[in-house]
Amino acid sequence: METRTEPTPSSTVPGGASQSIVIAIAGSGGDGVALMGDLLLKMAAHQGLYGMLVQSYGPQIRGGESAVILRVGDREICYEGDDTDLLVCFRASDLKRFRGSIHLHERSVLVMDEKDEGELPEWLGHGGREAYRHPFATFDGGVEVAGDPKNMMALALICRALGWSEALAEAAMRDCFSHKPALVDRNMPTFRKAFARTDVPALASLKGHGVPLFVETGNEAVARGAMAAGLQFFAGYPITPSSEVMETLIEELPEAGGRLVQAEDEISALGMVVGASFGGVPSMTATSGPGLSLMTEMMGLASMAEIPAIIVDCQRAGPATGMPSRTEQSDLFHAVFGGHGDFPRAVLGVFDVVHARDVMFRAFELAENYQLPVLVLSDAYVAQRRQIRDAVVDRRDRPQRHRWSSPADGPTRFSLTIDQPANPFRVPGTPGGTYMAAGIEHTEEGNPSADPVTHQRMSEKRFRKLESIAADTRTWVRTLGRADAPRGIVAWGSMYGVLQEWVAEHPEYRVFMPEIIHPFPLEAFSAWRKGLKDTSTVELSFQGQLHRYMAGLTDMTAVRSIARSGGLPMSKRELAELLAAPAVAATKE
Amino acid sequence: MLKAKDYRTDLQPVWCTGCGDFGVLKGLTQALADLQIEPEKLAVISGIGCSSRLPGYVKAYSFNSIHGRALPIATGLKTARPELTTIVVGGDGDGFSIGLGHIPHAVRRNTNLTYIVMDNGIYGLTKGQASPTTDMDSKKSRGLAGADDQPLNPVLLVLSAGCGFVARTHAGNMPHLRAMFREAVEYPGFAFVHVLAGCVTYQPRGYADELLKRSFELPAGYDASSLEQAMGSAHDVRFALGVLYKRPVAVAGATAAGGPGREWNATGDALKQDRPSE
Repeated sequence: METRTEPTPSSTVPGGASQSIVIAIAGSGGDGVALMGDLLLKMAAHQGLYGMLVQSYGPQIRGGESAVILRVGDREICYEGDDTDLLVCFRASDLKRFRGSIHLHERSVLVMDEKDEGELPEWLGHGGREAYRHPFATFDGGVEVAGDPKNMMALALICRALGWSEALAEAAMRDCFSHKPALVDRNMPTFRKAFARTDVPALASLKGHGVPLFVETGNEAVARGAMAAGLQFFAGYPITPSSEVMETLIEELPEAGGRLVQAEDEISALGMVVGASFGGVPSMTATSGPGLSLMTEMMGLASMAEIPAIIVDCQRAGPATGMPSRTEQSDLFHAVFGGHGDFPRAVLGVFDVVHARDVMFRAFELAENYQLPVLVLSDAYVAQRRQIRDAVVDRRDRPQRHRWSSPADGPTRFSLTIDQPANPFRVPGTPGGTYMAAGIEHTEEGNPSADPVTHQRMSEKRFRKLESIAADTRTWVRTLGRADAPRGIVAWGSMYGVLQEWVAEHPEYRVFMPEIIHPFPLEAFSAWRKGLKDTSTVELSFQGQLHRYMAGLTDMTAVRSIARSGGLPMSKRELAELLAAPAVAATKE
Repeated sequence: MLKAKDYRTDLQPVWCTGCGDFGVLKGLTQALADLQIEPEKLAVISGIGCSSRLPGYVKAYSFNSIHGRALPIATGLKTARPELTTIVVGGDGDGFSIGLGHIPHAVRRNTNLTYIVMDNGIYGLTKGQASPTTDMDSKKSRGLAGADDQPLNPVLLVLSAGCGFVARTHAGNMPHLRAMFREAVEYPGFAFVHVLAGCVTYQPRGYADELLKRSFELPAGYDASSLEQAMGSAHDVRFALGVLYKRPVAVAGATAAGGPGREWNATGDALKQDRPSE
């Protein structure tokens, strides 16, 4: 499958998975919940089923209660679903942290420990249905002791419920523990013992297309997408939820001929990127909100000195430390407006794991063509999820920076008279091309200047890039639903998954999702909004940053702002409630 | 044959007449001529400050960046383009105050950079505030902030971080500057040169001479490969001039990324074959 770098026509976007199953597993540190999720996802991918997995954990990031929610189905999935079809819960008390993430329906299967008499929370919506019981825990004198691995037992029961074979499970385990085959040998008897139970209630059967698919996280997709687009230098500093971008690149970038430095802080990380890119090498960093704050001055430098730089921001709930493992869409203002002085930058948004590759390619395209900082806004919901995707064939036409080779390419580095948006880049090592890049305002030659006229002209020149980018990217939007649907939703980033399914079930809605946030594809938006009876922006930002940002660009007086702070991604259930609530603002359009 | 003046741009320095930075500029261009480094293979990186204006006066691929961040930028450049001779220049405020956090990390990464700090013990560009190296008496007598704060010892700092090449020189001593810069650039690892410089505007008259009076040449028999002796000289209340410490080149151990020998098509002319993908 080709990497999709052209907008998918709205009519061909599949309307959500035609059939899918949601499985939730809740436990505590040491129960091996995360591993179970990984194994199940692998098994689904192997059969040609699609799916996604999200993990939920506390502020401590390691240890404590943890849960995975896994949804598998026969179509591409980028939303975790509303209701759980099968819940495995090792201790009822573990559930209390997952309010809002796990919800049962009337036919859900609930699997609990044989001896667990803990009360299930009201919000779970279990409806008093009898749980399927299994002796997961081992007791000695009434005290729970370490016994056979609970996750192996649970895995076996889930396989039974799904109708998946022992061989499939064993293959997934062998793949996961290829370096420790003895571990699999040790665990299989436990698996088999539980698998022998044939009375597990069956779930709807799912049929994959049989061609094995791939499991990737949003962060991995960002890293690999960047490499496919020509990334050769990365510098970063660990921060949740973006660290896996760097970790993936530590494994894969040097092998592919690139270089990587773990910097002492985010200021340095972007500094190194600016330095490497000054050297002519396509470069990138990845961070989250607090890191982006530290990078802000350097962002201005990259723009002022006209140096390509890619900054991936995996947004988390902020401000300050906020909730590091939780998702939010509240760095939009910072990405679009952050920094002192006037400087151009471009901002892109990531919909899901598959989209991440396209976005990275586009980010490099813009950065290398226009020689400015490009921010890619991902978020914890996309970054940390595992999603099953088709195979991709990377594009071969990698972005190439236009290079200066002789005075015929323009007499000076920052010439004002050149007829293209960015001057040919003078790569160090090129004879006759020496110049000074500077954060100080400069003349066409790059020499420091405090002349107000020069400052005005240089600002005009730098900002002309945005006009060109806007023209180049006017189709970088995705619309969902019927073009004549009377009700409209405007959203961005990871809201894509839930909206895709929302529209499939609610044909009265159409959705506008910009892939480029700044410069905003205003022309496409104006065309899209024609004939709407009412419109809402929907976002995970307390202030309603998208709505406010758009209000500075176009008439938003009749558009309702549905905005809440992050933490949990938006569910279809919540969306229904929010859209049904009486509008405070007028909704005529 | 490149001469010292071939490394100068047409730009006239903005420095005050008598500024120590003129000497550094001259000594540096002389050292570059000694080493016959082609301007297009040379990068001079700085942050912000009077001395950070220097890259504009050297014919090279230069970068006058933002306050305190010259080292990260140079590290990125040198890692991505190891064939470029990369020299970082700046002042005591830029390096030892706002940019201090980067120094020990640049040292331990041991990227093959030459870091020249023109230390005039004052913020000149912002008109005379105390810097991390302004001495306590001077702060007290002139009513500067932080009169009770100890000045920083830059040489001790980089030595304790594990720097493989540490030299000190005086901005008024041209042959010495030239020799120190030459040796530092040639050193295959992170090299630090502490330049004692005057400030004719915001330091008292005779300040540069005072620095010179407080300095001494390393004695004969000084063993620059001895970290113990280097630490001793760093602790001296007077300023020892010369190569204070030089870890033998054989064990200098510049990082593989910054050193020669590794095939690396940095400018990406040949992006090789496309990487096979899943």
